[in-house]
Amino acid sequence: MKARILYRNDVLKIVDLLRQRGYEVIAPFRERGRDTFFDPVTDQNRDRIQIHLPNPYYPPKRYVFPPIERLLKIERSNGDLRIEPTYDVQKRAIFGIRSCDVAGIYHLDRFYLGRDFPDIYYQKHRNNLFLVNVACTDPELDIGEECFCMCTDTGPAARDHFDLQLMDLADEFMAVAGTAAGEALFASPIFRKVSAEHVARRRAILEDVRKRFKPSTTSWFSAAIQAVSRGEIPEETWDAIGNRCLECGGCTYVCPACTCFTVTDRPADPNGVERLRIWDSCALSGFTRMAGGFNPRRAVHDRRNRRFFRKLAHYFIERELSMACVGCGRCAAVCHGDIGMPSVVEIIRHSVERSKEA
Amino acid sequence: MNLSAIEHVVPATGIPEIVDNVYLPKVAVLDRVVSEIHEVKTFFWHFEDSVEQRAFKRFRPGQFAQVSLFGVGEFPTSLPPSPTEDDTFFTVRQVGSCTSALHQLKPGDKFAVRGPYGNGFPMEDYRGKNLVFVAGGIGLIPLRSAIVYALANRDHFERIQIFHGAKTPNELMYAPKLLEWERMPGVECHVTVDRPNNDRAAGEWTGNVGVVGSLFKKEGVKVPVENSIAFVCGPPIMFRFVIQDLLGMGFQEHNIVSTLERYMKCGVGKCGHCCIGVAYVCVDGPVFTYEQIKKLGEDI
Repeated sequence: MKARILYRNDVLKIVDLLRQRGYEVIAPFRERGRDTFFDPVTDQNRDRIQIHLPNPYYPPKRYVFPPIERLLKIERSNGDLRIEPTYDVQKRAIFGIRSCDVAGIYHLDRFYLGRDFPDIYYQKHRNNLFLVNVACTDPELDIGEECFCMCTDTGPAARDHFDLQLMDLADEFMAVAGTAAGEALFASPIFRKVSAEHVARRRAILEDVRKRFKPSTTSWFSAAIQAVSRGEIPEETWDAIGNRCLECGGCTYVCPACTCFTVTDRPADPNGVERLRIWDSCALSGFTRMAGGFNPRRAVHDRRNRRFFRKLAHYFIERELSMACVGCGRCAAVCHGDIGMPSVVEIIRHSVERSKEA
Repeated sequence: MNLSAIEHVVPATGIPEIVDNVYLPKVAVLDRVVSEIHEVKTFFWHFEDSVEQRAFKRFRPGQFAQVSLFGVGEFPTSLPPSPTEDDTFFTVRQVGSCTSALHQLKPGDKFAVRGPYGNGFPMEDYRGKNLVFVAGGIGLIPLRSAIVYALANRDHFERIQIFHGAKTPNELMYAPKLLEWERMPGVECHVTVDRPNNDRAAGEWTGNVGVVGSLFKKEGVKVPVENSIAFVCGPPIMFRFVIQDLLGMGFQEHNIVSTLERYMKCGVGKCGHCCIGVAYVCVDGPVFTYEQIKKLGEDI
């Protein structure tokens, strides 16, 4: 991978370069308090882009997998049906995407494109996407209470699947190209050669930032995967987790690696219909209910545990060659019942330890 | 059949350049409608495009298709015809909004279909075996394809038995076909009803009365257990009792197959609704052995 150095003042010029090349650039912004979000960059808000900030609760997943997306347009006339797929082919760049969310998009790549029946809507978004990852180096701003990318091996600096990665070296930034498209940006004069001193500084910063994470029980993550995959979790433990679920679906909507959707038709134009896909959540009771009312999944526990099983069972990790949890900690931040992934790993740890003592 | 899905995985990490639209259904025309039993009708149809029609006809028994009624939605339905037959059709009970919309259609009306999807029954693996079909009520719909296929390739299989049970004589599925099978040489077809009708049209019921499992013990019936595959399909309660009967007779769990139904939106392993345990019913199923079904850990 090729690397370059640029001055701190030049960092946002990368956004300008991308906009000149026809990309709609999405970047992180901050309002009052913890209110952070990704938004399209305009001439007006360009200078307010934040390099360091708490990761927005809504992941940038929606730029490759929108919450509501039209799949088809159907026109009816004289008894005939005309079915036309509609695609979003806007070139987009996400500037300032965190390493966990880069892993999230890679998981979506694996899920939607890595198997039989690749998903063309996702593929069109993804082929037009450019990722500028910013490594998390500011212990105050970048690293939150819930972050556990150290346990999922997805951060604080992504190793691949970005086009360009930026790391803050104080007065300068180091840029690393992950793809040919990323490397092509180095033609701009804002990028300078890297010295051995820069490389050493990068290494030292990363080493230091790795010590700034909350010492957390999520270090038990891989053991939890083992226990779930072997079916060693007692029913009572799954029940205890399920009892705390309020069925709001929040965890699935903030998850950068959740993939489920429903499909619905709605009227459009005088004689038309459009078919949409909409994010869905396995936490909701109607998720598996069939016409006629039969629901093979019982109550909340089956549903709640479904999500953790889906994310932690080795079978699915092998199936997608990627894991459906990237350590962003958003589920922990939004869950009213405190059963985000770190808590679930903790509950599993206690449960397995208890059963071993018994 | 192997539940491990690793063989589907494309190891390359790149983004494919060209991808077919798996969500795009093709326009189909309704030819005629035949009423089967109460609220269940068979819809004969063909694709508007003859190329699509030929491509679709390569389906295997036990696969399914997604049917679109635009403005209402899309639903998965099994494919009752055998690929050895000329007609393409669905047999559908009116139960939700999409199936009700299908029931409203008139010959000549257009809707849309995509598929076929799913694994289907591995009929090639069953060559040289006895086939025992056990269907309760509309459970005969998904089994019809395999039965007709087996009878069209009669010399590939040893004994072929069909057991069908319904609530009443009026509820017997594919009644003309059942009569045909009952008279056909080379196939043993046994039919039973839970209660004989006392109502007018059906006339006097002279056949067997009792649950479908009662047919196994009927005089003159001998279900082969060695070298046999049992296909079981029907409502949950029937499924549980028939499985007990078969296991009691000595059937091994991996020699009992069924096809599962789940709420599905995509049919291609993406929407997540039909995922039970480690299996996506749409791509890993809908056909599973009882050995696999037991491990999936959900109500059937």
